[in-house]
Amino acid sequence: MDLLNDKKLLAMAVIFILLLASILVYAPYAGLLLILALFIFGGFCLFWKEPHIKLAGLGFLLILAIANIGINGMKYGIDFEGGTRIPVLLEKSVDSTTMNDLVQTIKTRVSVLGLTEANVYAVGDSQVYVEIPSSDPNTIQFVENTLSHQGVYWGVVDGHVAITGDDIYSTSINPLPAQELSQEGADWGVSFSVNRHGAEQFAAVANGKADYPVYMYLDRPSDAALFLSKAELEQNMPDDSSEKEVLTALSDGLSLDQGRNITLYVIDSLNGTVPSPKDNGTIALISGNASAQLISELNASGFTVKEFSETDITPTYNRTRAGVLTVETLTAVGLLSAPLLSEGLATGVPNYDFSVSGAVAAGPDHNTIVTQNIKQIESILTGGSLPVSISLGSRTTLPASLGQEFLQLSLIAIVISLLAISVLIGFRYRNIRATLPIVAISISELIILLSILGSFTIDLAAMAGIIAAIGVGVDAQIVITDELLKEDGEETDEKMAHAFDIIKTNVIVATLAMIPLLFSGLVEVIGFAISTILGSLLGYLLSRPAYASIVGMIIKKKEHGK
Amino acid sequence: MDFPNIFKGDYRLLCIPPLLLILISFYFIPHIQMGVDFQGGTLVTLTLKGAVDAPQLKSELASEGLQADVDVVQTTSGYQAEIEVPQSPKLVEADQLKSDFNALVPDVSFLEVESLQNSSNTTQYLAEDAKLQNISDQMFAIAGMSRSDFNITGTIDEQKAFTTAYNKVYSDYATSVSGPIDKYVQYSSMSIQTVSPTLSTEFIGQAISVVIASALLSIVFVFVFFRDPFPAAAVLCGAFSDVTIAMGAMGLFGIQFTLPSFAALLMLIGFSLDTDVLLTMRILKRKGDPREKAYGAMKTGLTMSLTAIVAFITLFVLAILTNIPTYYEISAVALAGLVGDMFATWGIDAVLLLWHVEKLNAAEKEVV
Repeated sequence: MDLLNDKKLLAMAVIFILLLASILVYAPYAGLLLILALFIFGGFCLFWKEPHIKLAGLGFLLILAIANIGINGMKYGIDFEGGTRIPVLLEKSVDSTTMNDLVQTIKTRVSVLGLTEANVYAVGDSQVYVEIPSSDPNTIQFVENTLSHQGVYWGVVDGHVAITGDDIYSTSINPLPAQELSQEGADWGVSFSVNRHGAEQFAAVANGKADYPVYMYLDRPSDAALFLSKAELEQNMPDDSSEKEVLTALSDGLSLDQGRNITLYVIDSLNGTVPSPKDNGTIALISGNASAQLISELNASGFTVKEFSETDITPTYNRTRAGVLTVETLTAVGLLSAPLLSEGLATGVPNYDFSVSGAVAAGPDHNTIVTQNIKQIESILTGGSLPVSISLGSRTTLPASLGQEFLQLSLIAIVISLLAISVLIGFRYRNIRATLPIVAISISELIILLSILGSFTIDLAAMAGIIAAIGVGVDAQIVITDELLKEDGEETDEKMAHAFDIIKTNVIVATLAMIPLLFSGLVEVIGFAISTILGSLLGYLLSRPAYASIVGMIIKKKEHGK
Repeated sequence: MDFPNIFKGDYRLLCIPPLLLILISFYFIPHIQMGVDFQGGTLVTLTLKGAVDAPQLKSELASEGLQADVDVVQTTSGYQAEIEVPQSPKLVEADQLKSDFNALVPDVSFLEVESLQNSSNTTQYLAEDAKLQNISDQMFAIAGMSRSDFNITGTIDEQKAFTTAYNKVYSDYATSVSGPIDKYVQYSSMSIQTVSPTLSTEFIGQAISVVIASALLSIVFVFVFFRDPFPAAAVLCGAFSDVTIAMGAMGLFGIQFTLPSFAALLMLIGFSLDTDVLLTMRILKRKGDPREKAYGAMKTGLTMSLTAIVAFITLFVLAILTNIPTYYEISAVALAGLVGDMFATWGIDAVLLLWHVEKLNAAEKEVV
């Protein structure tokens, strides 16, 4: 047989190389790529009847699986790796969109701490698990503090706090209905109500300040100094403004009564002199890209330095209707938005119902931006980025040594299970040529399964599923062997067809029974469902055809021998 | 592996053992213990520094007011204690109050704002606010607090106070569990799994929908596949008997009903249908003596069951060694089900099918 002229095999080889490259390049998606490979090669094995194609399909997938394990390694849950699981309890049940947002937000919060290995997932619709691969009490404490932190909202008008989150009815924060939007001529809006204290304070502070911005701060530092380079300062400056105008806008935005001003220093104008902090608690907010020398000098002069990304420390600007330049956002100080006061709110009369609204230019992203704006304002007003308030449950810590022991024992169990089944099969058929392929194929199946599941996370349930799959995986090969060994005068092909009918039905049945579990959201046992289903599919699409071709070849040789 | 063909002779007698098993199972099924997942409650797993006498620990904990089931096992990593604390009625009540409170808050907030703007709305606001206060007073009572502990001047404060009280109920509960344990047990690591009333209710709901979906999918597939009601019903009968026997074993051997054992039961539906389908296809779609074909199918089927049993025995031994509940629950249920499947498939499904096929054959002969 001339392998190079075999177009089918060549096609498979090309796909194999493409998949291998993708697994190398897109490591985070390796698991999905392997599943894709399973279906592609499985499809070939179903449609192309040549025995060597079927063997090649299994072979290629096996190599991909081994390569994936070798290059990307395996991921284990905290049960095997050791670590800490912190349950986050939600104040109320949420729908799946909110839950996804929540999980994403928590992931971002935790990964800010450098814990990229943290695993965050929903358990039901009112609980989230955060798993971190660490049992260090300080790290855990830090994560717990970060998670349970509830932000404080301040609306600042002209250097005075006009409103705080404490005066806002949390359940009154809602998107504006379409009717009111069209009345106001806005594209998006959020309404909220305040109590008497809030209404009176706002009326007093905002009196006569129509067209002033309401600086919406979340967790504004009360004792800080801001260090900006000239480039950062002017990056988003409108073309028609000057440096002086920008400086005024910033100093207006950062001013606050009772000595809570945030002082602005332009790094380029420091000329080598380093300012002293206001007191020993003053934080210096500065870009992480600033010179190491400056940072160490700030530290030396008594500041507590807090570094930010370029995006977070670069201010954005806006012009009021009267043409005054104001600062719109500056994440490093917690300034997230700065809507302008309407005239109706500046009359000095207490007002209980407020709304923040705005326009969005027409465009393909119109609706997305509208939704984003609504969400952003809602989350600022509720004092944090989480859509519901949360509390933390009792954490579970599993020492790494114990996890490793569990893993070792589980791997030993896999080997023992394989051995025991091989002995059983050998004993049943007393035919080494039928037994060896069964064992070899079971091992390949196992490696592929481990590789796919290891690309996601192998937890206890998945491991149990893998061990189970070894026992159930040989079933179809037993069906084939028994059919082929039967001496009832039928042709080999006919027998094979019978065997495949039975196997196909079995796989469909086994998959159908487990599929609802896969989509149930019962995370604790989803690993078990995945490994069981993948085990069946893998067997049906690849290892069983491969086995059938091996046994078929052996039998044909035997017949020729006769 | 040669054994006599059990289907020769009066095969109908074969259904006696599985029917007996099913009867016994019906007795034990109500005795199945619900695990933490479905019943709610707290499961504390401790890695102990030394051996501890379980009954003694149980009474020590009880003397501190903590009623709990205590189990001490020796594993490869030393002694482990499992302390299972049932759901606290306080938590159930607190959760109920919280959901009532959350349902009422938006209205009361709205009315409060209305009454601030227009005093003619005040009566209605006060009426609704009284309801809300009534709910939070109940929560304060559970938390051992009172309204005077807070400075409440409106709905916003009310909400804050309510949340504080609710969190206190939960932290008191956690202390009531961990306090006595810390006092009497020397441990090197502790794992606490608390399933709140809300979560366990949700788990039950999800489990029920999963079972319904699985059962429907399987039933529809089997009927569509066989297109003949009798074998389809026989196959489902076999699967149903299998799951019944597995659940009976759960009641008998005290295997708790948890998410892992639930997953194992679902797997059994698939596995038991496997052998049933094998048998049905061999008997119905091949030529030859039905009893011989049933016997041939049984040889294949038993080999399949045996390999699965070997795998799950390994998992079971691993579970005993490591005391990992997930492993134990899955393997124990699977083993019970696999043994049950042998009886159910070859004692019930096979008998039904043979009886059906032989009656058909007899009818054909009469026509001829």
